[in-house]
Amino acid sequence: MTDIETADRLTRRRARMFPVLALMFIIQQASFFIGRIEEGARTVDHVKISAWLVLSIALLLALTTGGSWFKSAKVRELMNDEVTRANRTEAFRVGFLGTMTAAIGLYFVSMFEAVDGREAIHILMTIGIAAALLRFGFLERRALRDG
Amino acid sequence: MAERLGNRLHELRTERGLTQAGLAEMVEVSRKTINTVENGIFVPSTLLALKIARALGLPVEEIFSLED
Repeated sequence: MTDIETADRLTRRRARMFPVLALMFIIQQASFFIGRIEEGARTVDHVKISAWLVLSIALLLALTTGGSWFKSAKVRELMNDEVTRANRTEAFRVGFLGTMTAAIGLYFVSMFEAVDGREAIHILMTIGIAAALLRFGFLERRALRDG
Repeated sequence: MAERLGNRLHELRTERGLTQAGLAEMVEVSRKTINTVENGIFVPSTLLALKIARALGLPVEEIFSLED
């Protein structure tokens, strides 16, 4: 298999995986907040927060670098070519807009209800990363579509 | 009026019997890049346009043109 074919196969896999990861990420956060509202803060929540932080960093790294860290430099370069970089820039733009919109929403919510600083960061990061992942996945899938 | 970058990449590539992957190999980019340029989804940089032109042995203006 040539480097071009390998990069193509891995790019397709990445385009399929990113939206799935984004949805799993959102569902995980939603379940965390629902549980927290019902039962209040517990020790187990700190473990969940740590897991969320590790997952957030891993997703950010995957989004920023393109993933496939153990493949050859040539394959990684092909997976990060001009189109990918343009798609990533657009994904970051959408992620930034999502984060800012959520921040504005939280600002208004905080007028009526106290919002914990850590929870606010949690919400903003989750929305920013998920929005960027979804947009990147969509753009990559469109780019890979034939015809 | 919005201007678009038209291209004859698909036509010129198939005339030469090249697949997208074959041309991608010559230009040293991914097949996805050739696909998006061909379909007009992506406007290539000057560098990429020149590399495609060099691979096809044509001046860049024979491949790309401005469309209204």
